[in-house]
Amino acid sequence: MRPEERNAAVGRVRDQFPVGMRVLAVDDDPVCLKVLENLLRRCQYRVTTTNQAVVALRMLRQNRDLFDLVISDVHMPDMDGFKLLELVGLEMDLPVIMLSVNGETKTVMKGITHGACDYLLKPVRLEELRNIWQHVVRRKFSNCERANIDGYEECTRPSNADFDHVHSQITGGTPDQSGRSSKKRKEYHSEEEDEGEESNGQENDDPSAPKKPRVVWSVELHRKFVAAVNQLGIDKAVPKRILELMNVERLTRENVASHLQKYRLYLKRLSAVASQQASIVAAFGGNDPFMRMGAFEGLQGYQSFASSAALPSFTPQGLLNRNSPTSFALQGMSASRPIQIASNSTISHSISDPNKYHLSLPGTSSRQGNLAQGLTTSVGQVQLPQKWIHEETDDLSTILSVSGQANNGVPGTLQSVTNSHLLQQGLVECRQDKVVIQPCSSASSDRLEGTVGVSSSLMDSCASQQNVVPLSAFSISASPMNGSLCSNGVAELGATSSVGTNICPSNDLRVARDNNVGASSFGSVILLSPDTVPNQKYLNFGGGSNLRQSMDGGNTDNLLNSKLIWSCLPTSQPSNLVGSHHPMSQRLNNGNLGGTMVGQTTAAAPQTRIDMFTSGDTPTPKSASDLSFPKVHSELSSSSCSFDGLLNSIIKVEKDDASFSDDLGCDFYSLGACI
Amino acid sequence: MAAAALREQLNALLSSMFSSGLVDDQFQQLQMLQEDGGTPGFVAEVVTLFCDDADRIISELAALLEQPIVDFDKVDAYVHQLKGSSASVGAQKVKFTCMQFRQLCQDKNRDGCIMALAVVRNEFYDLRNKFQTMLQLEQQIQAQQ
Repeated sequence: MRPEERNAAVGRVRDQFPVGMRVLAVDDDPVCLKVLENLLRRCQYRVTTTNQAVVALRMLRQNRDLFDLVISDVHMPDMDGFKLLELVGLEMDLPVIMLSVNGETKTVMKGITHGACDYLLKPVRLEELRNIWQHVVRRKFSNCERANIDGYEECTRPSNADFDHVHSQITGGTPDQSGRSSKKRKEYHSEEEDEGEESNGQENDDPSAPKKPRVVWSVELHRKFVAAVNQLGIDKAVPKRILELMNVERLTRENVASHLQKYRLYLKRLSAVASQQASIVAAFGGNDPFMRMGAFEGLQGYQSFASSAALPSFTPQGLLNRNSPTSFALQGMSASRPIQIASNSTISHSISDPNKYHLSLPGTSSRQGNLAQGLTTSVGQVQLPQKWIHEETDDLSTILSVSGQANNGVPGTLQSVTNSHLLQQGLVECRQDKVVIQPCSSASSDRLEGTVGVSSSLMDSCASQQNVVPLSAFSISASPMNGSLCSNGVAELGATSSVGTNICPSNDLRVARDNNVGASSFGSVILLSPDTVPNQKYLNFGGGSNLRQSMDGGNTDNLLNSKLIWSCLPTSQPSNLVGSHHPMSQRLNNGNLGGTMVGQTTAAAPQTRIDMFTSGDTPTPKSASDLSFPKVHSELSSSSCSFDGLLNSIIKVEKDDASFSDDLGCDFYSLGACI
Repeated sequence: MAAAALREQLNALLSSMFSSGLVDDQFQQLQMLQEDGGTPGFVAEVVTLFCDDADRIISELAALLEQPIVDFDKVDAYVHQLKGSSASVGAQKVKFTCMQFRQLCQDKNRDGCIMALAVVRNEFYDLRNKFQTMLQLEQQIQAQQ
């Protein structure tokens, strides 16, 4: 009987995972803190409380492994709750739940963008607190996934263990929890039992018990890190080399890798915010040259960070109101999200950031599996890439092919978008679907949070990116393009808007989403009257027209024109249009902005113009991309052949414009038809 | 007085507090927490904390509003805190008046704020009296058992 008993005991401990979860509660208000503490204890978490954020931070710094979760009030006299949130996110990868009596959307949004995993309103209810353990599990999951992406094998075992753990939690624990009677609660509360189980649980099963000591990313350490990254150039900065440059004891490659990932996310988010603001300014005809310059520089900096990039290039713009420059922390919080996302929309992830892709090699195959699954279920568009593979000739960046696949995702989203007509909802739905598909996704709500937090800016960011990116492209390729773009009518507008969607060179989320936006505007604008079209679409167009605007030299009327043109587009037209846009957008993803611009314009514009571009502009892409492309190749070439194939076909296309438009034309017809 | 009679009195007091909207279901939850969670004295502790804290905040507010130049941000922060703690304890009426108070504060309406403070104070004193009676009754019941 003994072994059985022991098994039963172990099982029971497993079933009670949230019991004994270590929560740090921070609130300056003694009443709230007292109530919160009691509620948390009631959920059988182990609670530590403090009424000062500074003390909380000290406790976390001294021994972060003592806590699984932080719950913090937003308004505190000694330190703003958001600041604490940032710091916790930066220095320790703990989930933080914000708590406030103030439920204004703005404040909640701020919490989310700063990386809070949840935002609870006072007075907190027991039901809400009963559920917060999920954030700990989710964080754990995402950490493991991230580790896998970075090629750590060590994490696979813990992750399995966790999975088991959670599994048993779900199977055994849930009914127990929901059906718990108050009598049973009392039972749970009997002291000895509680104690014994807690200690057990901690040793065996506490999902958040770290396997290794964590590294505190103090400000100084982070500075070294940034210096190393800047020295290497962000796309060349691989953890190993950063580690060498930093020359810090007890720091492991893994530490650096995960921090690098957070850092990249941070940069992305900064650029998203910057571009969003730029787009708003641009879309509403803001005449402040400084603002525009700021946005421009921001994006410039962002692009350049493909080659050398530094945080400093962002800070000066004053556009980053939403994210303060010090807010690496939030990246920390969000760092896990993209990875969750990555597993189903790997595509977009990898498109966006070649380096990341490079890092993710070990996990690629499985995630591709997921990807394929997601895609087939959504549309069955998987044949498309294969077609391209057949056409493959020589080499070029894998990113392209990757983005090709990303576009595959688009039909799926598009479908649902066209069905729902409410863009944003459609997108969210889609994303949810994908999450469901993904076998080991822990993410659905997290992911949605992510979208909520970021999407508002991302939706727009495509527009602004249009606005800015072309500018930089033009600074290189100069006048030939101006004429063509200005003279273009509807078709070209279409091109620009889809183009813009994909320009952002290294934002996973954004690329995917932008695709959606761009694409969906094709689908739904036609059906909706201009009034009902969601705002971001206008922003999108605003972006499109801004592109022209900047080229034309400040013709603000275009904004309106473009809108009108757009909403007037006849239904029959789009399939072709859409088709031709997608290839372009793929090319954009290279990060080769100059090149992509050319590609797009050519594709969307009539053939006559193609000639013009081929002669005038193809050189520019080369020069523009010289810096970024080779790296991309070297890192990506190793990844997978199918990707290569895709790339190649596209590259070939770029070299040979006439055939390109033909090829893609047909390929994408099918895509368009699907849509 | 017999324990039963005291308990009856206590229950009557509590139900009048609920029905008059002085306290809301958050307060009920606190009571349930105490009863189910085996934490005797929890409600008393929270209520005492709340009364002390609110009293302090109200006098701070009074001092702030007497200044020749009112620092409305500070006022707002205090009112916000009072709103938070009253929400946590389930002091519904105080919470509602705090919400109005905050609005006046954002409008930088000094006279309005002073009036709002008076209202908050009245609500709070009323509640505090009830709370004190409640705690006394509980203590008496405890003593009898």
